[in-house]
Amino acid sequence: MIRLAWRNLTQNPARLLISLGGVSVALVLMLTLDAIFTGMEQRVTAFIDRSGADIFVSQQDVRNMHMASSSLARGQQARVKSVAGVASVTPILYVTNPILAGKDRSLAYIIGVPSDAKAGGPWEIESGREDPGAGGVVLDVGVAAKAGIGLGGEVEILGDTFEVVGLSHGTASMAGSVAFISLDDFADLRQDSDTVSFLLVETAPGEAPEQVAAGIEARVRDVTAMTRQEFARQERKVVRDMSTDILAIMNIVGFLIGLAVMALTVYTGTLSRRAEYGVLKALGARNGKLAATVVWQAVISVSLGFLIALILTSLLTVATPLASASLRLVIGLPSVAKVVVTSLVIAGVASLLPIWQMARLDPATVFRRR
Amino acid sequence: MDPILEMNHVSKVYGEGATEVKAVQDVSLALEPGEVVLVMGPSGSGKTTLLSMLGALLRPSQGEIRIDGTDLTRLSESQLPRLRLQNFGFIFQDFNLLSALTALENVMLVAQLAGARNGDARRRAVEILTDFGLQGRLDFLPEKLSGGEKQRVAIARALINEPAVILADEPTANLDSKIGFEIMRLLRQIAKEQRRSVVVVSHDQRIREIADRVLWLEDGGFKTLAAMASDPVCGMAIEKDRAAASLTWEGAEYFFCSRGCRAEFEAGLRSAPLPA
Repeated sequence: MIRLAWRNLTQNPARLLISLGGVSVALVLMLTLDAIFTGMEQRVTAFIDRSGADIFVSQQDVRNMHMASSSLARGQQARVKSVAGVASVTPILYVTNPILAGKDRSLAYIIGVPSDAKAGGPWEIESGREDPGAGGVVLDVGVAAKAGIGLGGEVEILGDTFEVVGLSHGTASMAGSVAFISLDDFADLRQDSDTVSFLLVETAPGEAPEQVAAGIEARVRDVTAMTRQEFARQERKVVRDMSTDILAIMNIVGFLIGLAVMALTVYTGTLSRRAEYGVLKALGARNGKLAATVVWQAVISVSLGFLIALILTSLLTVATPLASASLRLVIGLPSVAKVVVTSLVIAGVASLLPIWQMARLDPATVFRRR
Repeated sequence: MDPILEMNHVSKVYGEGATEVKAVQDVSLALEPGEVVLVMGPSGSGKTTLLSMLGALLRPSQGEIRIDGTDLTRLSESQLPRLRLQNFGFIFQDFNLLSALTALENVMLVAQLAGARNGDARRRAVEILTDFGLQGRLDFLPEKLSGGEKQRVAIARALINEPAVILADEPTANLDSKIGFEIMRLLRQIAKEQRRSVVVVSHDQRIREIADRVLWLEDGGFKTLAAMASDPVCGMAIEKDRAAASLTWEGAEYFFCSRGCRAEFEAGLRSAPLPA
């Protein structure tokens, strides 16, 4: 029956193309959206992942950076440093705020880092220097290019003007970019030198970050200490929770488009071969065999549609960063698995009506004159 | 000889009350192995209904239909497809080949439906199609075949599972007379050589001569059951009770299609040398 299903499909190339086109567009919608969010999740934790810290220490119960605020007394730095297994502690200040470059305005994680920072600074410099120093800012290269500025250019951050002294790579996402200024400048802007946002801890060689983090929480009051991986996981969770509804809606839209196209093409394809299915039934084919033919047609269609969608989305993952540095598409296995399952559900549901109609087909119609 | 297919007092009624239509009424029929039966009759006489019931496609309202001893009216719906696959071969007026499959695949598919593996189905299909002179058309789609070739593929499909009974619905209707006659001769050959019963429903008077029996169906019942005879002069097949002329000579009865044939026959008798 697979051969019959394949031949039925390929006998009418126009119908097959319409079917594949519709289904693949719907699946591209789902895959691309997932890829955008997966890429965004990865970029949104770029600072955490590439900070060089093994442990993030924050105000008690603050478990991520995005849309969160943490305040630690400066004195906590020494207490954390005294915990066994801690090699270094780097205080940083952090706030989410727009950067103004001329008329261009973009949202950024503003990070204030000390000049002798062991962790928390830019991790890949395109040009200029790594340490922002007094009055300087290290800006994402894509953000700077978009604003039409380079090294020596000026941007406004938290109401003050900073000179671009370095351009960094991999520090932008759809959610925003990361900009680095000096800790002292940041403290001046806040008019507060007594607190910091986070303490970035490097553990001593051979020390397990989980145990050191537990030690920090046990020895230092009113802080939460998490390994870099756990902190990043919490950050991704926040972003995911914020985007779940959008993803769900777009996935439903994609599913419905795919279902509508597939149902229509399977239905019309079956209807046009109603007489042939009647002949098969008269010859002795069971309803199950005929149903299998219809299901195979739908499964083959959505499988081809899925492959086309996967290829198109893969091409988009290559092409998109060329057009926009802040946009990165990542096709994740869970997303592929989800779209595969969705495709199979589409094939199954689209087959229901034709199968029901074929089950009711009277085989005696083969002897009736047309 | 035991009949392979028996139809006993079968009736089929459609609708009820004021809309009731008696399509077939109290019809009985027995088919011997190797017998070719031609069912003729006017449109609306019940031929299609009769054929559908014979092929286990339609349940009769009354009566029983036995194939190889099994009363198919007592079988469940789920048992009928396998019964059709194993016992009946169907040939249709419009050939009814699956348009997306090649000649070979059309034949193979029916064997596979009956449970044959791909290789076995292919071997058997190639064998039958080759026997029918279609070895050069195995991979042709139906649209590339002539009418006669399509009908031969359809016959091959009907034979692939070696059924006891072949049911043919107007098998010559879409063929020219020469090809139609060849198809009927092929069916007769199959019946005689392979001992399969063939039931043909047709309006085509030209194919009467290949039938062993001609049944006339009218108003849902067999009106006459005519035995066939061959005109000794022109060779034409004729119903005995509809013959234009007849003659008894030396205890044998001869039937003629026309008075001219009888006159010619009589003239031949007169000129024959008298026995010593």
